[in-house]
Amino acid sequence: MKRNLLSMALVIGALTSTAAAGTLEGKAPAGNSVVYVDTIPGKTFPVASKTVVISQRGLAYVPHIMVIEQGSTVDFQNDDSVQHNVFWPSISGNKKDGHNMGTWPKGDKRSFKFDHAGVVPLLCNVHSEMSGFLIVSPTPYFAQTDSAGNFKIDNIPDGKYTVVAWHEGSKPQTKSVDVSGTGKVDFAVAK
Amino acid sequence: MSRRIDVVSPKWFLIAQLLLLVALSNSSYAIPAFARMYGTSCSTCHLDFPKLNDFGKAFKDAGFKFPKEDESMLKIPPVMLGAPANKELWPKAIWPGTIPGIPPIGLRYNTYFQYTGSSSNNFAALTPSGSLPPFIPATDFETGFFSLYTAGNFGSDIAFWVNDDISVSGDNSNGGLGDAYLKFVNIGRFLKLPQNALNLRVGQFELEIPFTQARSIWTSPYDIYSQSNIGSLNSVFPQQFVNNHYVLAETGKGIELSGGRHTGGYNYSLAFIDQDTGGAVGNSPYVPTAQGSNQGGLGVQSNADIKDIYASFNYRFNLERDKDSRNAIQAAGPTGPRDHTYLNVGTYYYYGRSVQRLEGVGPDGTAALLTAREPFYRVGGNMTFNYRCCLQFNALYMFGHDMNLLPVDSGGNLIPLQSLGQVSPAGFVQGSPATFSGGFADVEWLAYPWMMVMMRYDGVNSSSDRLNALITNPSFTGSPFNATYGATRNRFTPAVQFLIHANIKASFEYEFRPSQSVVVANNPLTGVPMAFNPFHTNTAVVGLDFAY
Repeated sequence: MKRNLLSMALVIGALTSTAAAGTLEGKAPAGNSVVYVDTIPGKTFPVASKTVVISQRGLAYVPHIMVIEQGSTVDFQNDDSVQHNVFWPSISGNKKDGHNMGTWPKGDKRSFKFDHAGVVPLLCNVHSEMSGFLIVSPTPYFAQTDSAGNFKIDNIPDGKYTVVAWHEGSKPQTKSVDVSGTGKVDFAVAK
Repeated sequence: MSRRIDVVSPKWFLIAQLLLLVALSNSSYAIPAFARMYGTSCSTCHLDFPKLNDFGKAFKDAGFKFPKEDESMLKIPPVMLGAPANKELWPKAIWPGTIPGIPPIGLRYNTYFQYTGSSSNNFAALTPSGSLPPFIPATDFETGFFSLYTAGNFGSDIAFWVNDDISVSGDNSNGGLGDAYLKFVNIGRFLKLPQNALNLRVGQFELEIPFTQARSIWTSPYDIYSQSNIGSLNSVFPQQFVNNHYVLAETGKGIELSGGRHTGGYNYSLAFIDQDTGGAVGNSPYVPTAQGSNQGGLGVQSNADIKDIYASFNYRFNLERDKDSRNAIQAAGPTGPRDHTYLNVGTYYYYGRSVQRLEGVGPDGTAALLTAREPFYRVGGNMTFNYRCCLQFNALYMFGHDMNLLPVDSGGNLIPLQSLGQVSPAGFVQGSPATFSGGFADVEWLAYPWMMVMMRYDGVNSSSDRLNALITNPSFTGSPFNATYGATRNRFTPAVQFLIHANIKASFEYEFRPSQSVVVANNPLTGVPMAFNPFHTNTAVVGLDFAY
């Protein structure tokens, strides 16, 4: 009995140590950068149930950039006294994923569940200067940089990953990173 | 008349303003006045600039500000001319107002290339013998106008607009003031009237004519708007002592009461403006004008005591089924807000009393100043059918009528107009009025958000223009449309415009112009002069236009 309990404790300990949560940190171009872990082959995650809000206020999308997990729902709220429209022509260039949500007045909101990962450029077909970006991450491991360009992603299991850095106006960059307790990766500005 | 140019600020202040403009502009490129203030694209208010969409009309109706919660939309806050609490101190304090945070200045420039058919050389026959005819090239690059626009809101619902053509055809002495006014929006609130029921505009402005000429997207003007009324001077036919140079498209100086909305429901305008049928500015060495001294100043504008009256009334039916959508500034479409589908019908009326003064003789045979006061009016109707964002049909009809007072001598005999210098008139008798009619119809199709395809028909019917064209010796050149072949002048104008950016436009227009003739001969049977060998002087115009 004691030997069985001890064996169980050893197994649990081994499993726990294998699934230890690590940290990935580094630097990306300052301001308006998003870093996320790309799709992990053979690994799936529970469907995200989170709902976030993007507001249309002062003829702008607020926040201008947001990152969510694939499967999350976004409430688009019109907080302006003018009519707005929300549409995106594509997701990461795939026009089949483009969508137009129509028009709604002040105070109303409409929701959309983002089941496809990628970069969603948010536009308004009335106010052509309005733009926002929604980064839909295929994994729950993502972060936005601070004003100095620093990022930190917590609770990443140790392992080898492809990490993507997205910055408005630049091409996305990808790097392979080993996370063992702490992983570090830096991204420079890419034209 | 010399132009007065004010130096408004020292060099360092201009540099600071320029730096501020650069710092405040985000990723957008250069943008005109309102776009700068609100940080929004021209396309928020304009379809194919300067044509306004429904939101632009609402912006204008509101006194050049967002119809609701304007303060939250301004990216550049206004400068306070006194804290709001000063309202409580009035009349012991100046009522507080605001000025825009940066000078709301927009600039616009256009340039053209024109091709004119070779039939234009036919006009050489009209040149008096011994003179060289004017040369009309087959192709020509032409500089258009460079204009400055400034407009905005001073708080307390006081709006302003000034635009000036700084240079026309590459010559800054050709420029002139366009619209320049203060508009007191919604003054009906002091009389407990409904919102937008009453506004007051003061200054110089294009009348609230059914379709704007000053801010039209067409390169060529509407012919009927440019039609003045010159009576028949041809001695072979009954003559008309009518010399009215007034055209509906010219700016008026005066005041206007208006109300309603241009995005749905009624709107009206009632204006009282100077009469200026003579087309010239007067001066007196004895009486000072508002702008200057006895011997200087800018002169008086009116050529008569009467103030002309203009009135218009329109009703616009928005045709959406959903009531909320119908009453909103823009309709809610499945893919986003868009202009309404609507039908607008309207009518307008202009009244004045043209004045012609002659040196004549009084009843006692002594020298006297004789004045022919000839009431005139312009009346008509207009309609617009607009389908959503992109297809619009417009039409306008006008009828013009001028009373005709013919000079007679002391014996009561009609004096031929050509003999007025030799025979002294003693009075006037009423003859047949000088009339004209006409209008236009056009279709405008926004095929893409950046491409407008248009087609227009202009028609003007003026018998006196045709009769004056039959004057051969010397040929009459004072007609609004010289050498017109028929009483009715028809013109077809297809056009297409492309928005390269929201503020840069390329345009192409082809004018199939009305028939003209320079060959006149007497009908051998009737002895009445007739025109022969009509021709068309068609014109193709390519333009580039930008605003910033």
